[in-house]
Amino acid sequence: MAASPPNSPDPSGSPTSPAQRRAVVVGGNRLPFARAGGPYAAASNQDMLTAVLDGLVARFGLQGEVIGSVAAGAVLKHSQDFNLTRESVLGSALSPQTPAYDVQQACATGLETVVGLANKIRLGQLDSAIAAGVDTTSDAPIAVSDNLRHALLKLSRARSVGQKLKAVAAIRPKDLAPVPPRIVEPRTGLTMGEHQALTTAQWGITREAQDTLALASHTRLAAAYDAGFFDDLVTPFRGQTRDQNLRADSSLEKLGTLAPTFGVKLPTPATMTAGNSTPLSDGASAVLLASDEWAAAHDLPVLAVVVDAETAAVDFAHGQDGLLMAPVFAVPRLLARNGLTLDDFDFVEIHEAFASTVLCALAAWEDDEFCKTRLGLPGALGSIDRDRLNVTGSSLAAGHPFAATGGRLVATAAKLVAERKAELAGTDADRPVRVLISVCAAGGLGVTAILEAA
Amino acid sequence: MRAPAVRAPGAGAGAGAGPGAGAGLVAGAAQDRPVTPEQPTLRGRTEVVLAAVPGLGGLYARGVGTSARHAVASRLGRASSTLPDVVYVAHGLRAGADHLTAYQHLLGESASDVLPAGFVHVLAFPVATALMVRPDFPLPLAGMVHLANRVEQLRPVSLGDVLDVRAYARDLRAHRSGTQVELVTEVRVATGPHGSELAWRGTSTYLAKGTHLLPRDAADPGRAPGRAGSDPWVAPTATAQWRLAGDIGRRYATVSGDRNPIHLSALTARALGFPRAIAHGMYTASRALAEVGAARTEAFTWTVEFAGPVLLPGTVTVRIATDGATGGFGYTGWNAGSGRVHFSGAVVPRS
Repeated sequence: MAASPPNSPDPSGSPTSPAQRRAVVVGGNRLPFARAGGPYAAASNQDMLTAVLDGLVARFGLQGEVIGSVAAGAVLKHSQDFNLTRESVLGSALSPQTPAYDVQQACATGLETVVGLANKIRLGQLDSAIAAGVDTTSDAPIAVSDNLRHALLKLSRARSVGQKLKAVAAIRPKDLAPVPPRIVEPRTGLTMGEHQALTTAQWGITREAQDTLALASHTRLAAAYDAGFFDDLVTPFRGQTRDQNLRADSSLEKLGTLAPTFGVKLPTPATMTAGNSTPLSDGASAVLLASDEWAAAHDLPVLAVVVDAETAAVDFAHGQDGLLMAPVFAVPRLLARNGLTLDDFDFVEIHEAFASTVLCALAAWEDDEFCKTRLGLPGALGSIDRDRLNVTGSSLAAGHPFAATGGRLVATAAKLVAERKAELAGTDADRPVRVLISVCAAGGLGVTAILEAA
Repeated sequence: MRAPAVRAPGAGAGAGAGPGAGAGLVAGAAQDRPVTPEQPTLRGRTEVVLAAVPGLGGLYARGVGTSARHAVASRLGRASSTLPDVVYVAHGLRAGADHLTAYQHLLGESASDVLPAGFVHVLAFPVATALMVRPDFPLPLAGMVHLANRVEQLRPVSLGDVLDVRAYARDLRAHRSGTQVELVTEVRVATGPHGSELAWRGTSTYLAKGTHLLPRDAADPGRAPGRAGSDPWVAPTATAQWRLAGDIGRRYATVSGDRNPIHLSALTARALGFPRAIAHGMYTASRALAEVGAARTEAFTWTVEFAGPVLLPGTVTVRIATDGATGGFGYTGWNAGSGRVHFSGAVVPRS
């Protein structure tokens, strides 16, 4: 336990710390994302998390290094994975003296992990950290039924033969059927896609707009791979060198042939298809965070600074807001606290849970009435041109292994601003280059963050 | 039928832990005889004090008997058209922890020590039922349809509270397809050696279909929102979907003690004119109450009108949303395919 935190206020209440220390993104690593049941089907969360950590170790020369903390999470987790991150660290090339802990905030796990570790670095509690995330929908945990579990637990507590027989006798044949995880909101029974279909209808997002966004995701991700953008962000795994879901040859015509999969029972036309929704995916990602001093001491580059973050939640269960609309509320608060507008960002990375999730957020921020009544703003928050939005593709093309998406976004975003900053070196070197990151999550959650080129 | 979940009213749970199958409970027909002579009360009703809360199973069995008597009386033109002027009373009820947990888990409530309003209904319901199987109660219990329910939760009721229950019938009136009646149940919480406070009042409206005791000109025109009037009902935006398994009637029967055969299996439901088993109305209303959650506050009014049965297994599309007009929540459950409403109601905080 620390005797006194480095930034504790003095008795008069005014902050004594000079300029707060920065948390920087050194770089990232991820596995190419695979489709459920694909090349990673036999790999466990621990396998993939260990692999992605080892890739990061190899990239930045961290063999045997003691990292301040590794935090990681998985959304679909087996009960034996209670210490998933620590076990993965022990299996990696990092020093076994590297502490680790698990985080989980549904699809926002990866970004929340970055935010939490960055804050520890800013406070001086850590000098280095790895934020990671992993998910496998192929090796998803299968649980036993509630009745079987209750009976087995009673059996394990039973002392007498009579008690044991009674516990066993309570088991019915149908209790033996395994219970796979369902991607439904526990409180509503609706799948995420069904929830988003309601929001899509509410905002009147067209099929064409969704397919156009999906196509851009594929073409931009393919172009970024072709340009070598991911050469220092992705480590091949199990023969996979690019994201398996990527369709470089996709077209509006092909996307237009797909039958709607969500919202088919709504009175409005169904617009959401497998093409403009993310597939179930397997994969892992990791981001190396540090203080400037640690990065300099290890002779490592610094891509971006983690500036600030804001989380929001919405009451989706009682019909007030759409399940995936929380980032719409988080972003204006984040901007206000930092004295920024949407125009102050060179890039915006919005997780494409569904094409319509992104389009609903954009529509809400452009809506005068909504911004006034729900966001408490004087008027519309503003618009985001498509040439700043998800410029190297996003989840629709890459896939979305839930907890791994945040790490993919942060590493991509950090590299984008670092490259733009380098381009400006001769002309406009002092201009801040920022990226806004937004991730929606189950449970009506949303996490947003600002990164700025270092 | 075996209880699939945790056995509801825990065996040996002690003093009258609820209706139904609990071993510590007094079940069967003979036990609800008055222990004190019927005495007039201030309200002019005669008080009948039950020795213990009767088991619903025995009451249903007796209900069939009185229903047969009703049929004979009706044919002979001797059916009574007035309600017995009595109030049924049971003292010293307590909830059992295992029973409460089983109920809360089934309905989607978290297992707090505060009794959900629907659970209080489960505890108190047998007292009202005991009244309804009296030989001089004018309507037959068998085949009775639950039309509506209103609960005023005036203060929280907690595990460990000692409860007194009073139940009486009122407002017998003609309905277009029979005769309806209200059963009022009041639950008081002991606040000291002598004092108690009214905590919960439930009013259940039942319809005896085909039993026409009163002139029909005063008949209620009917209230089913999915069918009434010429304006077609338009489904609102859903907020949830309930996929109800085929055994949900049996599971709610286990925690509620309400083993009406129409809820238990397709076979037993068919015998009473339903194509399949149907969900308990109070299961659907109590689940909606659970999904409103803590926003209902400690004291609230919770209403429901049942418009059409939910066949099991089945999917109910649901909207549970804030209602600016009442300052509380409104809820509706319907069949997305047919557009027929199953139930609708409200949960409105009292303060």
